[in-house]
Amino acid sequence: MSRVRLPAIMALLLGSAMVRADIAVVTHDASHAVHLSRHQVINIFMGRYRQLPDGGLALPIDLVGLKDRFYRALVDRDLAEINALRARQVFSGQGSPPYQADAPEEVAALVLQNPGALGYVDAAGVTPDQQIVFMLHE
Amino acid sequence: MDGRRVRPVGAWRYLLSLLLSLLPVSAGAQALAGNEPLTVSGFGTLGVIHNSSSEAAFVRDLGQPKGAGEGWSARVDTLLGGQVDLKLNDRFDVTLQGISRYHHEGDFSPELTWAFLRYTPSPGWQLRAGRLGWDSYLFSESRYVGYAYPWVRPPVDHYGILQLDYIEGVDVTYRRPLGSGLAWAKLFAGRSTSHLVLSEALSAEMDISNLYGGHLNYALGPWQFRASYARADSDADFSVDREAFARNPRTLVLNTLIGRAFDYGAIELYSLGMTYEQGRWQVQAMQNRSTTDSEGVIDSGFVSLGYRTGQATPYVMFSRVRTSFPEIPAGESFRQRTWSLGMRYDVATNLALKTQLDRVHVIRPGLLWRETDADWEGDRITLVSLGLDFIF
Repeated sequence: MSRVRLPAIMALLLGSAMVRADIAVVTHDASHAVHLSRHQVINIFMGRYRQLPDGGLALPIDLVGLKDRFYRALVDRDLAEINALRARQVFSGQGSPPYQADAPEEVAALVLQNPGALGYVDAAGVTPDQQIVFMLHE
Repeated sequence: MDGRRVRPVGAWRYLLSLLLSLLPVSAGAQALAGNEPLTVSGFGTLGVIHNSSSEAAFVRDLGQPKGAGEGWSARVDTLLGGQVDLKLNDRFDVTLQGISRYHHEGDFSPELTWAFLRYTPSPGWQLRAGRLGWDSYLFSESRYVGYAYPWVRPPVDHYGILQLDYIEGVDVTYRRPLGSGLAWAKLFAGRSTSHLVLSEALSAEMDISNLYGGHLNYALGPWQFRASYARADSDADFSVDREAFARNPRTLVLNTLIGRAFDYGAIELYSLGMTYEQGRWQVQAMQNRSTTDSEGVIDSGFVSLGYRTGQATPYVMFSRVRTSFPEIPAGESFRQRTWSLGMRYDVATNLALKTQLDRVHVIRPGLLWRETDADWEGDRITLVSLGLDFIF
């Protein structure tokens, strides 16, 4: 039995070492969005319905370096598919894509300055003034 | 015709200068600090098509005077679009869009497709006024944005007829969560002008007034459904090219009949559409019926199934159209069916290559084919298309 288990355990360990950190969807003021459901996060970032639970307008922010992983984990789409959906929205006059931030520091600054702003960062990099409203597991 | 060609350019200039004069006012009132208020973007397609038939030339829609005849042609699918979005403040924004493509004037002269002001009082409500896109059908508003869909072009059996380039008027959209999905409704009202080339010898300028309608949508998980209705009064001003008649007098009868079919006073359009996108699968389907006050009926629809694997999305599609105009002898109604097989390949996140094979069975010829003889009884036609779609 133990001979069979060892490779299985090793595979599990190797597998878990390859799992990357979770992605946290953050805002500054948690009163706007104490907790968001996966549906709400999808609606906001996919441009379908940008309303926060308190009725305010959500302002989503994409983090360029993390975008690929975020949308893969959120809706199982690659960036070409996301861009095709965005092209349909933008060029049919239905709305604008999320603001594109180049660095986590820019996300942090925007979230701090704008009450309805929602960004996403590596879960390990959440700062004390950011409130986590949704945790996305890869 | 010249006066009409100048007007859109004048409108562009006027609107642009108007917008530029608003810029300083808006600078302090952006939705997101650091966000640029002015966005310039665009889309385009380089497309070539090969037609196997020497008897009929293919057009993408009824606005195109000349088609793709036997051999290769870049005319029908190639286009370039540009868009300017200007955020005035949290609630107001302006969008302008222009497209250069081969159209009713017989050239690629750019047209102002949209120029509207949008008011968003809350996340659930949106009001727009100005020159708006026609979105009575799923994909109608983005039918020239090749990068947005898997096909080389949306199926002409449906999108080749009964489409408007724009409407001038107002619309209102309301969105709200419903059950575990999202529901939205849109109502619009306005007017439009549509230029149809019914054959080489006969074209019509349709003055479309009292245009109104709307649609109900529901998105639940991978599903999205749409039911829509629109109606309009229509006044057709036909113009006849006597030289074209003289070259091919046998088309006279056919043209008279086609002309009569489009000489209706009012039209109603009904449409049911759905999309399903789960994991790698993409399904789109639509069924439409349009009826005129002279008892004409146009039925069209399509089903498309795609599967994404890596950067490639192969797809298969079936579409058809069938018209029935009681004033016309039964044999003159237009019927055709198309099977399409193709593949989209995403080269980059702003560039897609496409290839598509269409096998069109023209059962009753009439619309959508150019340079046909009056005694052409239809045929099976093979089209091969290559396209490069980009966004910027």
